[in-house]
Amino acid sequence: MEGQAVKAGFDFLGIYGFFDGLMPESLDWLAFLVAGFILAFAIINALVVSTAVYTWFERRALGKFQSRLGPNRWGPFGLLQPIADVVKFMSKEDTVPDGADRQVFTLAPIVFVATGFLVFALIPLGSNDWLSRLNIGLVFIIAVTSVNTLAIFMAGWSSRNKYAMFGAMRGVAMLISYEVPMALAIAAVALASQSLSTYTVVTNQEVPFMLVMPLAFFIFVAAASAEMSRTPFDLIESESELGSGYHTEYSGMKFALFQLAEFMAPIIVSCIVATLFLSGWRGWGPIPGQVWFILKALVVLCALLWFRATWPRLRVDQIMEFAWKGLFPLSLLNLFAVATEIQLLRDPVTGALTDSDMWAMAAINWAITGIVFLAVSRMFARKQLQRPLPKPSPLANMGAEAE
Amino acid sequence: MYGAGMAKGLLVTMKNFVKPDRMFTVQYPDRKVSPTELAKMSGVGVFTFMRKNPKTAFKAMTGQMTVPARLKQHPRFRGEEFTWYEQRCTGCASCAKYCPLGIIRIVTSPSGEQVQEGQKYHLDVFDIDIGRCMFCGLCVEACPYDALHMGSGFEEGKYRRKDLVVTVDRLKSQPKHPSTWFRPQIQGKEGYHPHGEKDVTWQEAGRHEQPSRKHQEEKWAKR
Amino acid sequence: MLGEGTESSVITDVIFWVIAVGTIVAAIAVVQLRDLFRAALFLVVAFLGAAGMFVLLRAEFIAVVQVLIYVGAISVLIIFAIMTTREVEQGSPYNRLQVPALILAGLFLAGVIFVIFSTEWNVLDTAISGGRLADETATKASEVFAGTVPRIAGLLIREYVLAFEVASVVLLAAIIGALSLMRER
Repeated sequence: MEGQAVKAGFDFLGIYGFFDGLMPESLDWLAFLVAGFILAFAIINALVVSTAVYTWFERRALGKFQSRLGPNRWGPFGLLQPIADVVKFMSKEDTVPDGADRQVFTLAPIVFVATGFLVFALIPLGSNDWLSRLNIGLVFIIAVTSVNTLAIFMAGWSSRNKYAMFGAMRGVAMLISYEVPMALAIAAVALASQSLSTYTVVTNQEVPFMLVMPLAFFIFVAAASAEMSRTPFDLIESESELGSGYHTEYSGMKFALFQLAEFMAPIIVSCIVATLFLSGWRGWGPIPGQVWFILKALVVLCALLWFRATWPRLRVDQIMEFAWKGLFPLSLLNLFAVATEIQLLRDPVTGALTDSDMWAMAAINWAITGIVFLAVSRMFARKQLQRPLPKPSPLANMGAEAE
Repeated sequence: MYGAGMAKGLLVTMKNFVKPDRMFTVQYPDRKVSPTELAKMSGVGVFTFMRKNPKTAFKAMTGQMTVPARLKQHPRFRGEEFTWYEQRCTGCASCAKYCPLGIIRIVTSPSGEQVQEGQKYHLDVFDIDIGRCMFCGLCVEACPYDALHMGSGFEEGKYRRKDLVVTVDRLKSQPKHPSTWFRPQIQGKEGYHPHGEKDVTWQEAGRHEQPSRKHQEEKWAKR
Repeated sequence: MLGEGTESSVITDVIFWVIAVGTIVAAIAVVQLRDLFRAALFLVVAFLGAAGMFVLLRAEFIAVVQVLIYVGAISVLIIFAIMTTREVEQGSPYNRLQVPALILAGLFLAGVIFVIFSTEWNVLDTAISGGRLADETATKASEVFAGTVPRIAGLLIREYVLAFEVASVVLLAAIIGALSLMRER
């Protein structure tokens, strides 16, 4: 399942080799810098443009899910709507509240956006298309997403607005609660792929980890949805409740940065899920790996969109309950189960896991997931209330009786 | 079973997504049409239409053709305009007297018309201020000759307040689609649609006619 | 540059100086700023500087864990503490002991610098480039940096497992303490 019959060309090693040949020997760090800069530039531009296209896609698809039209005035099928949005943001006045902390106020959206871009550096788009092969990639992902909490704090505090603070505190509480199950799900993936590098996770994933560890997949998707503050966890931006949460006081381009980060997050999380759980760029046939990767990310993106269109928003205490009483024990259970299976099934000499080991793990894990599901339903799901049938009232047919 | 409700919700939205007729957005004031709708509107098959008007079909396929969308409107809908028949109006100014806000201004002059059947004044000024009108319809109820009716249109937005005053010229010249509120004689008509193509004539709009000269001579003059 | 990185070059020195000066400036700002929230943010910068130092020492796992724990969790804790402080807008109160503290810190700094300069550090780079190690020792020593994570994991679970377990017991005590503080009578 190599899938690299067609080499799609744009890879870091090639560009670095090109520049390395140009530079003298003592300046090879400059070649690295330039090659990295070019690829990072391309990736950032691709991300921002795809975020803009994604906003259009999301609004149209949400409309279709909710039996209404999405934007359809600007351009055919509303395709120029993102451009209209950008023009709107650029033309709005960039207000900073009087008592606000100017520097922190300006810095908060920048930090928010920067963490998203940083994570994308770790995602291998093809077997030669990667920006970095950090050997601590998975922990890097968790670390960088935990800097988001700081950005939200900065935004809420520097606005000097009570309601922005409320929104920020609730948001931060939710984010730090959901970091724990997310980290534990990623730990299970690291165990099964025996490495912390995202590149090695894809290379070792002959069987997609979604099949091998369905519970980890479910936990990661739920926790990542909460990290992105996406419905059903989007209490931060529930505009009907608390002004606008931590971005109440923002307008113009700073608000546009917040929106950019918010719409970029599902794309990035879909790419991470495709890398960690759906075996990244691996596919079969003549289709190049990059296309497989994009397809898988699109499928996850559409699934996240479907969830956003369907489910109502959870209350903040329900969110906390779900994190600490629901996802956290499940993630511990999953980690324990996966660790036990790996210890029992792996080759005692080399410590490697073969395909058949992974399929065996898949079978056991699906059984465990089913049992846990049924047990949780039995214990926690509320029974339907048995309402008594209404008795016909003696006053019901007064009209008929009067006749 | 935990999560059964969530799965049912997902199925509902997927049905909305997949089935083509679940969209009930009404677009106003114009909506974009596809080539099939244009073909249906002009009564030919799709491919015939595309062959005969290739440029229009191309514009429709890329989503640039719009047609005005008319919403279904009840005949009794009281719009924000007035329908006035000058053939029926005698200049009695009952509407101005009944108006609770006093926004109707009437200035008449003797016209010399129908001198025998009772004076019919010529209206020099008949101003109704739609900016302050609350469309209560008391003026319509007050008119003894069924000359003033509520209209059916609602697109009266203007850029200045003083443009909202409706003058007698506009009342005379605008198309007459009276609302059937308080006018049951129009309601009974078959196929009356407030936005239909034909106006309601002044003979159809009234409950009763002014008595003719012959009738007046018989009933009163000979007493 | 893409190799195993056992050599240091000009760019590494430049980055070292930038990160070092940045960390020191941030640390001074933490104690000198009146606005507590900004002081906390400069503390975050100091933590990030420390993480950068770890990367330069080729201990990238520690660097990422530093970011995860210090920046991601402890900074959040500190900021929560700042927010629940009353009258926090007035900032740090005036301190009469600033000059004695400066003198004491200066003496401490002088002592630490003296100790640093007079120690015989076994630095791998200079040992390899100075030729003081035999060849296979040099290759085995630089292989240590090839896989830091498995080695750290092995050390934690095998030799230092007591510290590991004691840390988790301490965490458990902290959680129970927090819960008992919040319990309603």
